[in-house]
Amino acid sequence: MKKPDVKVVLLGDMNVGKTSLLHRYMERKFKDTVSTVGGAFYLKQWGPYNISIWDTAGREQFHGLGSMYCRGAAAIILTYDVTSWQSLGELEERFLSLTDTANHDCIYALVGNKVDLTDAKAQLSQDSDGLSEDRSTAAAGDEEERTELQAAPASPVSLSGSVLRKQVTLEDAVALYGRIMRYKGLDETSKLPADKMCFETSAKTGYNVDALFETLFDLVLPSILRKRNEDKESPTVDLEEVGNKRSRSSCC
Amino acid sequence: MEGDNHQDGEAEGVQISDHSSESDPAADTLLGNHLLPDLAAKSDSSTANRNQTTKLHLSDVTTEEPGQNEELCSQLEAKLETDEAKVSGSRNDVSAHPADGGAEGNAVDNDQSDSGEFVVTMLAKAKLEEQGIGVKGRSSPLSEAGVEESPSFKSHRDEDVTADSWRQHRKHIFVLSEAGKPIYSRYGSEEALSSTMGVMMALVSFVQSGDNVIHSVYSEEHTVVFLQKGPLVLVCVSSSRQSEQQLRGELLYVYYQIISMLTQASISRIFEHKKNYDLRRLLAGSEKILDGLLNLVDSDPSFLLAAVHCLPLASSLRDSLSQILQKAITPNLVFSILIAKNQLLTIVQEKTVIEDSRLEPADVHLLLNLIGASSAFQAGEIWTPICLPLFNPDCYFYAYISYLDPPECTVCLLLLSTDKEAFYAVAECKRKIEEAMAAQNSLSLIAKAQLYSVSQVGVSDLRHFMYKPFDVPDNYRQLTQFTSPEMEAPYSSEEEKMRLLDLYRYMHSRIHSTSRPLKLIYHVAERETLLAWVTSKFELYTCFSPLVTKTCAITAITKLLRWIKKEEDRLFIRYPPKYSTTPNPSKSSKSSKSEQQDSTDNGYLSLL
Ligand SMILES: Nc1nc2c(ncn2[C@@H]2O[C@H](COP(=O)(O)OP(=O)(O)OP(=O)(O)O)[C@@H](O)[C@H]2O)c(=O)[nH]1
Ligand SMILES: [Mg+2]
Repeated sequence: MKKPDVKVVLLGDMNVGKTSLLHRYMERKFKDTVSTVGGAFYLKQWGPYNISIWDTAGREQFHGLGSMYCRGAAAIILTYDVTSWQSLGELEERFLSLTDTANHDCIYALVGNKVDLTDAKAQLSQDSDGLSEDRSTAAAGDEEERTELQAAPASPVSLSGSVLRKQVTLEDAVALYGRIMRYKGLDETSKLPADKMCFETSAKTGYNVDALFETLFDLVLPSILRKRNEDKESPTVDLEEVGNKRSRSSCC
Repeated sequence: MEGDNHQDGEAEGVQISDHSSESDPAADTLLGNHLLPDLAAKSDSSTANRNQTTKLHLSDVTTEEPGQNEELCSQLEAKLETDEAKVSGSRNDVSAHPADGGAEGNAVDNDQSDSGEFVVTMLAKAKLEEQGIGVKGRSSPLSEAGVEESPSFKSHRDEDVTADSWRQHRKHIFVLSEAGKPIYSRYGSEEALSSTMGVMMALVSFVQSGDNVIHSVYSEEHTVVFLQKGPLVLVCVSSSRQSEQQLRGELLYVYYQIISMLTQASISRIFEHKKNYDLRRLLAGSEKILDGLLNLVDSDPSFLLAAVHCLPLASSLRDSLSQILQKAITPNLVFSILIAKNQLLTIVQEKTVIEDSRLEPADVHLLLNLIGASSAFQAGEIWTPICLPLFNPDCYFYAYISYLDPPECTVCLLLLSTDKEAFYAVAECKRKIEEAMAAQNSLSLIAKAQLYSVSQVGVSDLRHFMYKPFDVPDNYRQLTQFTSPEMEAPYSSEEEKMRLLDLYRYMHSRIHSTSRPLKLIYHVAERETLLAWVTSKFELYTCFSPLVTKTCAITAITKLLRWIKKEEDRLFIRYPPKYSTTPNPSKSSKSSKSEQQDSTDNGYLSLL
């Protein structure tokens, strides 16, 4: 059996598009989803590594399970919907506390999904496979995108004719990212820069989706290597136990 | 076409509508008490195996004692004739429902003679009851059934609740809180319906204030059934002509599905704290699960029969699958269930947990519905809390759901654990199961399994049947099951399927009538003839071509029962094995306090 090396968790309110994002990335498709029950576990082969990804349910009904899914996580994707101010607020109110069980060096990404509804740039259906060819290019292109958006944030050019009002700007997200870092007790020097960790994506068109996952996977590599070393020392420990150990040590 | 339907419906209704005028207890006990002892005695002397069931006796008699059989048939026929004569004797179907309603009304209010009227007026105000539906509503429930079947579930939520089309839905279901807050509506958004639901609640509490409980309201077109469960009130407004009992059963399924997501304990707790809590906060996103349940309830007879249907499978294959499940265990695993094409393949359970209780069909139905409503793509593995309300309404199990044949996703593995943290251990069981199945090539064998055709029975006039054996020593304390062939022509279209199901529902309501239960009904409808028969050993519903004679039907049933007996090992899960996974049995036992507390503490407390 393929043993997962590291754990990535998707969190966020229901309907923000967590399942759709993962589906876009894994299957390169956007299709109708049903609201997730509990959580769904996926294994992604990333080079020589196996990355486990938990797609969690955003429904309040399953709130109690969140901290379990987050236990021992190396990266957490906090997802909101750019057309819903509330979905950003929920991240702070409801989901942030769940991340307490994650690794102490857990990486956080803040993702505003459904940007195809608000930004012309994201409306073009992207050949995501092409994008994933070269990650550094994708990341660079991403950077460019952002500057342009900031130049004219409130007037997205309508391509499809149906443009919704953007309720959450990238600045809002960056500000929240700062608050999250403070909550985690990370100072300016040890945290990853906000402009690198705040994404705007569209699961529908594929915009920025590969960049999101691949940036994260690259960032968790050190975590993987460290875990592999630990496993060498005590080869019988499985992921769950490691997770327990870590979360315990991190809260003391 | 419609006129035809209409006529047929009427004909059938009139035919077996009302026996009550000349009740004859002998007719009720037709075969069950009177005829069968004779039969049993006869065949006991001729058959070696005394432990065989009644159905076998009947077939033995047929083959081995033709003379006897003839006698039996004429006896049976005579009885049937009596039944039928009485049936056609009183032709007052049209008034039957209002009459029943009157009786119910009495139960509701003993001295408030105008409350029935009040009820109807209130409902009319609430736009639930409408005489103006006229032509369409009257023609036939089937034409509507067709409309309803169209898979545009999504739009239901956005439906205009003031439109005629909304009123014409065959069956509305509403769930509200005691404070009158809307929780769920099958069609239209709860918000748009909040005033309607308020009226319903007013109705319930009006009757309650007189220390009575409202059960149902009848009008010409609709039956309104109420069910109060703890702080929840469930209402069904139906034009499906089902019995009140059946409709209440369906409401109960809705209640159980809600419980399966939230548990009874946490619902009570929530409403104790806050009477007007908006439960939709917790149920948001679950509408599709309830919608799916209601579509299943309408289209799958498992719910009507309160029994599960398993996929026919060579017993050797089923046994080997069971053994695979039996070997892949981990502490606190309590059920291992294998499903293909939405039907059970096999089910293996923990010894200690189930010692004095078995898995109820309704719990299995809820599980199957949950699986249907939760999508997993590719190799995704789901881990979710779920409560089995009939097993224990207050505690959660943790369900592991994974498809074994991506990307087709037809073969599904469901593992239930009492341990919230057991995901990785349970997922490991799946790998073992996967490996063992690969080694035995099980998946391709399962892929070949399918429903059987009624033609395999070899009885020309038999079109369809449903057979549900009861607890006999053989399968005592096992899951209640039934078997049924595929619905084939002339029941291949959705409308025709629904029409046959409606006929079965009708037969079922007659058999299970609380006021006057019957053991045997021979029912000549326009386009088919049905025979329903319940004994202490089984419940059987058969559908024949309209030209069948009674003698033929009886011979056919004899043959059918013999065929089922012969195929039993293939049609049913016969001897489900058990495993033992509890190092400390008390920990996961049904009544364990610690388990309950641990598992109900699922974050709800934090909401209050
Ligand atoms: N326009 C647009 N719609 C999207 C996008 N991503 C998701 N959606 C839609 O948003 C709805 C919810 O998507 P899901 O992926 O199921 O949301 P989720 O976050 O997984 O929700 P839960 O499982 O309930 O927590 C679906 O109807 C999707 O089609 C997107 O990028 N653009
Ligand atoms: Mg989801």
